[in-house]
Amino acid sequence: MMQSLYDRLKDRFNLGEFTGRRADLAFVTVSREQLRPLLLHLRDLEGFTHLVLLTAVDWIEDDTFQLTYLLNDRARARDIGVRLMLPRDDTQMDSIHDLWPTAATYQRELREMFGIDFPDSPRVNEDFILEGWVDIPPYRREFDTLRFARETYPERPGRETHDPATYMKQQLYPDGEDNG
Amino acid sequence: MSVRDVLSPFAAWKHLFRDPVSIKDPFNREASERYRGFHQNDIEKCIGCGTCEAICQNGAIDMLPVSGVDGVQTRPGDSGLRPRIDYGRCCWCALCVDVCMTGSLSMSNAYKWVEADPDKFRYIPGVDKKHWDDYEHGYRRPEGHRLNAPERIEMPELEPGERIDSFAEIVGGYSVEQARLEADRCVTCGICVATCPTHMPIPEYISAVRDGDYEAGLKLLYDSNPFSQICGKICTRRCETTCAASHEGDPIAIRWLKRHITEQVPFERYRAIIGEPAAATGHSVAIVGAGPAGMTTAFDLARLGHKVHVYEAQSHAGGMTRYGIPEYRLPFDTIQREIDLIVSMGVEMHYNTRIGADISMAQLQQDHDAVVLSIGLWLGRSTRVPGSDHRNVYKAVDLLRRIRDGEQLQAPKSMVVIGGGNVAMDIARSMARLQQQQHGQIAITLTALEDKSHFLADPVEIKESIEEQVTILDSRGPQECMVDDQDNLLGLRTWRVHSIFDENGRFAPSYDDGDEMVHEGEWVVEAIGQMSDVAILGDELTEKLDWNRGRIQVDEDGRTSESWLWSAGDMVRGPDVVHAVADGHRTARSIHAHLSALDKQENA
Ligand code: SF4
Ligand code: SF4
Repeated sequence: MMQSLYDRLKDRFNLGEFTGRRADLAFVTVSREQLRPLLLHLRDLEGFTHLVLLTAVDWIEDDTFQLTYLLNDRARARDIGVRLMLPRDDTQMDSIHDLWPTAATYQRELREMFGIDFPDSPRVNEDFILEGWVDIPPYRREFDTLRFARETYPERPGRETHDPATYMKQQLYPDGEDNG
Repeated sequence: MSVRDVLSPFAAWKHLFRDPVSIKDPFNREASERYRGFHQNDIEKCIGCGTCEAICQNGAIDMLPVSGVDGVQTRPGDSGLRPRIDYGRCCWCALCVDVCMTGSLSMSNAYKWVEADPDKFRYIPGVDKKHWDDYEHGYRRPEGHRLNAPERIEMPELEPGERIDSFAEIVGGYSVEQARLEADRCVTCGICVATCPTHMPIPEYISAVRDGDYEAGLKLLYDSNPFSQICGKICTRRCETTCAASHEGDPIAIRWLKRHITEQVPFERYRAIIGEPAAATGHSVAIVGAGPAGMTTAFDLARLGHKVHVYEAQSHAGGMTRYGIPEYRLPFDTIQREIDLIVSMGVEMHYNTRIGADISMAQLQQDHDAVVLSIGLWLGRSTRVPGSDHRNVYKAVDLLRRIRDGEQLQAPKSMVVIGGGNVAMDIARSMARLQQQQHGQIAITLTALEDKSHFLADPVEIKESIEEQVTILDSRGPQECMVDDQDNLLGLRTWRVHSIFDENGRFAPSYDDGDEMVHEGEWVVEAIGQMSDVAILGDELTEKLDWNRGRIQVDEDGRTSESWLWSAGDMVRGPDVVHAVADGHRTARSIHAHLSALDKQENA
């Protein structure tokens, strides 16, 4: 089912990698220019009327964010994930809130958590869940959660810890050598 | 309620006796089964590796000593530390549970706890007892859900068919990519370091593999072990037995990663990385025996600026690594590179020089400030069963030495090996190769006193011996080397072993003489242990020294009862390369302290 869909799509769109996960779930990769026409096509001609979610992954090693638009075709009970690779240093993306109003919420979340901007998306610059956030967007992989926690939340007095190897040396062979 | 209910109120009566949907006592409701509540820790299972602390992104975990509680104790494989959790910081993400190396850590579904003192919300699960310690429900790491790979990256090796007719090295070594994947499995907890006899900085050099910084890795290796290339191939790797990863998966291939570092750095770079020796001190030390213990002592003392002379009876250095371990495990050039490096520190070698024959201990004492005796265990022990003095009954160490010395041994068509340790496997596998080369078929039976689960040999050796068609029989006790009327050796007669030790733990095997077997063999080879050839010391010195059950008595630092003489290595510690290296370091340190004290006396 998904393969024939892909065969139909690939004549019209310049699609990247296609991965069929299950009979009713597949992923395609698309360029930024073709995202909108592809989504419209899927929605209006192929029956994928529902936007399930819009999410991102930070592939910091490859300097890219991956956006995934997951669409659902209720009538035929199938899903398609449309993937789009965005360079990490150019994180402006076209809003699709006019295709699915719920997209505005996802886009607002992505703006806050990844710093991916969707100009024109309603209320996109308002705080979403991180009220008063001052650091870099926390889902970016370079965000150091532990450092943030240490700096933001002071330690209670009375903490101490031990490094296992150092502690074992003190206990078992303090002079550097044991006699085993 | 619909309009009809209001109009006919009796219709609603049918609901009167049903249980209410609302909860009577919302304050004592159990959380859902997989709720992530306060932690539980099985502290007998936990090894105090601190991986939970390392992963916690809230800095909520400390590792604290709890020795004495419920039998927890700092010992090889267990730091004696246990995690303490600060619930002022914990966000209940359960990363610590997901990463836990032993599976000891989990979360109960207890979520309610009222307390006036905020410091109470910091406790050591399993140690500070809580009523939820035994809760059945809560978050456990789901089956198959792992943050780190449980399986070791496989080492490329020659297949049995490819290796059986030659002495070519079996193990191929990791590629850079394989080594990095394997290094990535290490959580750098450092639990293993205490188990390594010479306490190599294992997590640090594994990190160097991960970072691809091989020169830094090599420096770490040689600062702790001048036999790193050799140990990278044949170390008994005690460290791996205590690796945190071994609790729920394969231990990290620590030995192979060490080997990988030594293979990645061009040998010409070694010397520059290790560095120059210190300025000459004017002291001179003699070392008898160029095995791992003697050469490690030599390396350390030479680096400290002392003049070192090594006296070696054989034509090559390396001791048992050169003359005892077969080439398919440890090629000559590996050993030679190791020796060259040590010699390059200014060590002077005297080969083919036998104590007693070519030079006396008294002479060494006279010419040097200190003398080290590290002559190893070169005399094979005999079972002394009837017939064991037959000319075709051999000692494994003698045969191994002859093979490694390049002698073309004529292999017998069939052969029996007595012993279940690594030396027994070494001789069986070496002879299997010779049989294959000379006769095109293998007929070797290996009989061991121990049962399979108590074999002394490395399990890999046993597996590979079987692959190489050695027949291994466990729990067989030798009774007689059978000889016919024409004085031909026929084989070995054995009885089944009942028990090896008596109730006091003394070696006293008992047999079932009803279960007798005769194993055919033109040769019988004894591989049941070795002794030291201390006769070379001469009567006078032997008289003067203190002895302990046939071994020279030494103090903690390897010093004998004679103040100028130290003894190190297999002859003191029993056979093992890395123990010999550790012993060499210890001896060198003791001698250096002694020489420094001499300097002070002179200056005073
Ligand atoms: S990771 Fe597990 S085994 Fe290691 S210290 Fe933490 S609780 Fe103990
Ligand atoms: S549950 Fe998460 S936050 Fe809490 S101690 Fe474990 S790792 Fe740290």
